[in-house]
Amino acid sequence: MVDAFAYVPAIVLLPFFSFLVALGAGRYLPKGGAFGGVAATAGSFLLSIWVAATVAGGQAYNETLYYWASEGGAGIGPTDIELSFGVLIDPLSALMLVIVTLVALLVHVFSLGYMNDEDETGLPRYYAGLGLFTASMLGFVVADNLLMAFMFFELVGLCSYLLIGFNFREPGPPSAAKKAFLVTRFGDYFFLVGVVAVFATFGTAQFAGPESFPALADAALNGSGSVAWTPGGVELGTWLTVVGLLVLGGVVGKSAQFPLHTWLPDAMEGPTPVSALIHAATMVAAGVYLVARMYGFYVLTPTTMAVIAFVGGFTALFAATMGVVKDELKQVLAYSTISQYGYMMLALGAGGYVAAVFHLTTHAFFKALLFLGAGSVIIAMHHNEDMWDMGGLKSRMPVTYYTFLAGSLALAGIFPFAGFWSKDEILYEALVHGLDDPLLLGGYVMGLLAVPVTAFYTFRMVFLTFHGEPRSDTARDPKSVGWNVKGPLTVLGSLAVVTGFINMVPVQKVLGLEGIDLLHLWLDNHWGGIEGLSSHHYADIGPYSSAYLVGGEVGTVLVGAVVSLGLALLGLGLAWRLYNVASPTEHTAKLGGVKDVLYNNYYLDELQVWLAYRTEDVAGGADTFDQGIIDGVVNGVSSVSLTGGGRIRKLQSGVVSQYAALLTFGLVALLLVLGATGGWFL
Amino acid sequence: MSAVAASIPPSWYLLLASAVFCIGLFGVLTRRSALYFLMSVELMMNAANINFVAFALYYGDLTGQVFALFVIALAAAEVAIGIGIILVLYRNFGTTDVTVPAEMRW
Repeated sequence: MVDAFAYVPAIVLLPFFSFLVALGAGRYLPKGGAFGGVAATAGSFLLSIWVAATVAGGQAYNETLYYWASEGGAGIGPTDIELSFGVLIDPLSALMLVIVTLVALLVHVFSLGYMNDEDETGLPRYYAGLGLFTASMLGFVVADNLLMAFMFFELVGLCSYLLIGFNFREPGPPSAAKKAFLVTRFGDYFFLVGVVAVFATFGTAQFAGPESFPALADAALNGSGSVAWTPGGVELGTWLTVVGLLVLGGVVGKSAQFPLHTWLPDAMEGPTPVSALIHAATMVAAGVYLVARMYGFYVLTPTTMAVIAFVGGFTALFAATMGVVKDELKQVLAYSTISQYGYMMLALGAGGYVAAVFHLTTHAFFKALLFLGAGSVIIAMHHNEDMWDMGGLKSRMPVTYYTFLAGSLALAGIFPFAGFWSKDEILYEALVHGLDDPLLLGGYVMGLLAVPVTAFYTFRMVFLTFHGEPRSDTARDPKSVGWNVKGPLTVLGSLAVVTGFINMVPVQKVLGLEGIDLLHLWLDNHWGGIEGLSSHHYADIGPYSSAYLVGGEVGTVLVGAVVSLGLALLGLGLAWRLYNVASPTEHTAKLGGVKDVLYNNYYLDELQVWLAYRTEDVAGGADTFDQGIIDGVVNGVSSVSLTGGGRIRKLQSGVVSQYAALLTFGLVALLLVLGATGGWFL
Repeated sequence: MSAVAASIPPSWYLLLASAVFCIGLFGVLTRRSALYFLMSVELMMNAANINFVAFALYYGDLTGQVFALFVIALAAAEVAIGIGIILVLYRNFGTTDVTVPAEMRW
């Protein structure tokens, strides 16, 4: 049998080729090179399925493919660091490959309706961007070491810049693209320092295997090993916490966690399919995936875990409150994304590795669905995104309505849609691990509070968009959408309904049915995987113990599920009451000053601008230093040789007598020097 | 070789040679005419020849004298080439003044 793992590089390279083709020949191809992208992502998707099937067959793959510096440890630094590209396929990355390629494929198909049929210009550039975006994310997913992950992480950031700023002739998108790039770069700066720190500390940045840095860190903390370097006098545990937090900087930026989330709502300036790709499968998912990838490192440091959990819980609630007052369809979705990734971070910090990956999976499907549904509405509304101009679209675009409704129910966490299962498991993990940890419990409470808010803003959006009476002429007569919009919506709509059933932990725990928590088994290397990368291993070395409320495990499961479902229904009911009427009014206006604060995103953008102006002098000083000292030295050296050369070449006068004189003087001078050193004149 | 020549101390030959050399060098440095250049170079070469021959006499070794013969042949060839260059120089610039053609410079 042919080995599926040999084709893993092809999964990454196929979208890359579609990027090259669209870039080089897109303008000569039909549809601006779209079919190349569709074919490439479809190929990647099929290969990913094959790879996942092979992993399910009990195999895993961890190979270094190419050393680009110092193979065999020819020696960078004292610890013989090797820099390489490699592939790591375990249950986690196989699952992620399938998610990313599937969403990318559907986004490509959807783009045929959203971009081509709308007669957008610059399509080759668009499809080139999509291809490179997909390829970068896939490269990030299969990366077997932190440095390679960092490189593709940066490529993902670059692609988001290119695609958010796709309509670069309008004033908004370029500015949003710059903001997205700069804010995530700010986080990535810490990530880069973290990568260097990992190399310096462990001499390796491999994710898996006995010589990987999580394994080395574990051994060093147990006292059965040691690390290559720690900064003088710092205790090992403290230092590992610092390293973990540094890497976390990149995660906070990319996954749009507080306080670096401000780029994401602005990124809505990009084309809607790009938003779907960014939010569901690529850019934002990259941060959470990175934490999951090196989870064996994070669980070793309880402080980092608590920080992750608290930041995640806070972001979940914080972003949800802002989503309540937004008027534009995509803005609501943007804040829901921030909020949902907050949940994932909460799960990771609370020791719920499987819960986080579960929510990453379900969220990828239902958020891609919601964005594509929003894209469909936007096509119908002739690119008007204001929900107050919509209404009554339910009967006019039923496919979009029902699929969007499925996605909204999943997002709101209503039983039995996908989001219910994953969100419930996150809250459950945070609760049982957090009962004796105040920071974690705080994260749990905020996550719980965000549940009704989420349900409220989600259904406010649904009711405003689809229910009631049409509030504008375009809403009365919306443009129809084609198969290339409805197809992806249908696929994702089905997935949003059923994905939750891959991991019905509450059912298992209450009814005692074994073997229906498929994702748990999958991530626990039940069918095969790599030693040291299983959820069981993480739980063993993790800092948490479980505590239960009334009625032990089963009671806690039931109480948690009932409470979160009840809260979600509460939010839904409130939205129903306020907005599911023929002509809804802006109830949020009653909030008064609070609405202003929420609508202006807690004035965080203003705060960041203010900070930027306060730190202007520092930046100016750094610029002066750079221009004056650094560039000064370089320019000085060159100008010395330039002027020196300019002067000395004047010797070349062309007059033979002067050459003869110079020769003579040279000879005399040589004789004098030789004589003086040789002692002739003594 | 006569006994008289052998009885003169070698330093005298060296003094003579360096005097001739310096006269030649002076000519090269101060004259402008290319023909004077040729003559001065001839003087400098013959200064070297004096040294060769004097030391050959002093050591009783013929190698130096053979060398002197080679130098004379070389000088003849050099004059042939030099005269050719000077002819071309005169044809192009209408003068044999070496300071006039100063095109080949920075």
